[in-house]
Amino acid sequence: MTWWLITFARRGSARYLSHLDTSRVVQRTFARAGVPIALSEGMRPKPRISLPLPLPVGAAGASELAVIEVPEGVEATTDVLKALRAASPPGVEPLHIVDAGERHPRPQASAAEYACVLDGDAGAIAAAVERYSDAEHAIRERVSPKGTRRLDLKDYAGDVVATPVEGGARVGFTIRRRSDGAARPQELIDLIAEWAEVEPVMRGLERLGIAWDHGLPSPQAGQRKELST
Amino acid sequence: MGGEFNLRLKPGARPRIVLSYPDVYEIGVSNPALQILYSQLNDATPASAERAYCPWPDMADLMRVADVPLWTLETFAPVSECDLWGFTLPHELCYANVLEMLDLAGVPLHAAERDGGDPIVLGGGPAVANPWPLAPFFDAFFVGEVEDHLEAIVAAMQQDGREARLRALAAIPGMWMPGRSTQPAERQISMGFSTSDPVLRPVVPVLEAVHDRVVIEVMRGCTAGCRFCQAGMWYRPVRERPVDLVVAAADRLLDETGCDEVSLLSLSSCDYGGVAEALTRIRELRPGLRVSLPSLRIDSAAESLAGFAADQRGSLTLAPEAGTQVLRDAINKGVDEAQFDEAVRATFKGGFTGLKLYFMIGLPGETDEDVLGIARMAATAARLAREIGRGRARLSVSVSSYVPKAHTPFELEPFAGADTLRRRQQLVREAAPRGVRVAFHDVAASVVEATLARGGPGTDRLVEEAWRCGARFDGWSEHFDMRHWEQAAAVTGITLGEPTVASATWRDAVDARLDEDFFAGELERSRAGELTEDCRDGACAACGVCGGEIGMELLV
Repeated sequence: MTWWLITFARRGSARYLSHLDTSRVVQRTFARAGVPIALSEGMRPKPRISLPLPLPVGAAGASELAVIEVPEGVEATTDVLKALRAASPPGVEPLHIVDAGERHPRPQASAAEYACVLDGDAGAIAAAVERYSDAEHAIRERVSPKGTRRLDLKDYAGDVVATPVEGGARVGFTIRRRSDGAARPQELIDLIAEWAEVEPVMRGLERLGIAWDHGLPSPQAGQRKELST
Repeated sequence: MGGEFNLRLKPGARPRIVLSYPDVYEIGVSNPALQILYSQLNDATPASAERAYCPWPDMADLMRVADVPLWTLETFAPVSECDLWGFTLPHELCYANVLEMLDLAGVPLHAAERDGGDPIVLGGGPAVANPWPLAPFFDAFFVGEVEDHLEAIVAAMQQDGREARLRALAAIPGMWMPGRSTQPAERQISMGFSTSDPVLRPVVPVLEAVHDRVVIEVMRGCTAGCRFCQAGMWYRPVRERPVDLVVAAADRLLDETGCDEVSLLSLSSCDYGGVAEALTRIRELRPGLRVSLPSLRIDSAAESLAGFAADQRGSLTLAPEAGTQVLRDAINKGVDEAQFDEAVRATFKGGFTGLKLYFMIGLPGETDEDVLGIARMAATAARLAREIGRGRARLSVSVSSYVPKAHTPFELEPFAGADTLRRRQQLVREAAPRGVRVAFHDVAASVVEATLARGGPGTDRLVEEAWRCGARFDGWSEHFDMRHWEQAAAVTGITLGEPTVASATWRDAVDARLDEDFFAGELERSRAGELTEDCRDGACAACGVCGGEIGMELLV
């Protein structure tokens, strides 16, 4: 058995897939490409596949990660990558495969970079972004069935940049994960939108990249090889 | 949702055809008829075929508020800009959804109000057996199997202008055009069925749909001759696909879809001549592959079940339809108690952990005694479940209400009516063995279904008024509201669930190729409790379908 780390993009109508549906699509893409996935043991064997950092419904992802175990003897060749690409549905594109060896990799995301468009006065949005950057604290309340929790967005969300675009501004930002969790993109955007007095609607939300703790295995490390076209 | 595997995109292609199933995506995307049309139109004609389904009410309301018209999953372009909009019409309780979709698309509801900028709206599917309740909303109906006429339909859409297109459509056999056709349309039968491939590149949803498996139509038509069954009359004659073709298709489809289950589709798959061989050979295609049959006839269930391996999981449905021998003979469902016992035993011995029994109440000639028979059969099955299933076996009973349908021997028989149906449901409920779950159809929904199934000219006013009162998704119990239909009935003066129908007005629009004398004979035999043989291995029942180029195509 060997583990693969597959980087893929999710765009277009595939943005609207849920986490479970995305997982099912990757699984079905493998089946269509004729690439076997290892099965878990037990009464009801399940394919060994996980997407370590779920992508919200409606968000695009430029380089998402799937961790998949394949049976002995299945090799991550360029042909396999091509077959996976051909078997993918519109909007899902496998970018490259890294063979991570026999030990189960459990990548943990440390930060992720996002961008979205807010409609409204670009100047007001830029001012709100500047106010956020200058602020020492940005306390928000998060209400959940477990109760209300206060969190300081400044601990989690930074590098906020606004660029004017037609009809509004593109807002880029980074969300960092700490041991006590992370903020949601919507929580930051709610605050910016409130200050800018615009609708808190994230148009075209995209996750541009993810930073992983200790990085991901790279093609240079030992026998691991990376493929891309 | 769209974005499926095997989605077809043909940018700029003309004519642009939209295919619709008037229910939500999750139900409609699995419809085999639309899969056939989608593949053939896109892959074998110059047309671009796209799809649109009926948005769930919350979405529809938001679309109206935001002024967003119904769009297609392929191009996100408005449906109203297409050349031809085809609906497959599966049953009566989706009629309000057709109006809902027309309205959401911004297409005038009535064909008479449409002009050059509007699509031509074409209806097809089994509910076209009686097109009257929807007649004014459609420019045309195609009666029967359309596979052989797709090229002609596409060619008609290449004409200039609405009138020229309609004239070209009118010349296609099987086309009935309200207000234009002077004689009934003859139901079209695709005699190329048995030698043609099933859909080999189906659209595979990226989210969970009701059917997540490879579906192969192995046989079309059924001649078991159940007298209540519209499909058993409508899809005649029986045509079977060769086992080699079916197995090769299964192999290709497993690759194409990535599924791990194959279902052999037909009206009665254990009657398919190649069923045992096909089951065996398909199971050998992939390790761990599951093969299923959507429906089993009780008289051959035990035999068919032997074709499955012992590792079956899940549940199985058997359909005795009626509770006593007398009534089963009357509806030509010649199953006896011994066969029933054997089938139930075979189910639990085969490892199935669930059994669902399907019955109808409200059949012509039914008595209270027949209805109590349902409870007795359920008790027998419950006892066998305990004995053989050793506590693991679950038994459920589904009792639906019979609605007489056009083009069947019972087409002019009275509908049982709400009071009788409710009383008989109560009889079954009280007599049912303890611990057995009995599910009933909503009687009110059956009353609406009965009204529309045989509704004549003018019934469209009821449908339109009900939709205006708020009816949509009537096939969903959480959305069905009888008040919409009662209000519409009051406005239009149409009586809901009228027990008797004066005449077979559907024959003015549709010639199903079924002989009226055959129906009369079958009705007489029903009343006398006489069975009619299946003509595939018995005597010809002279239903009138075969003749000329039309005939049965059986595997020997």
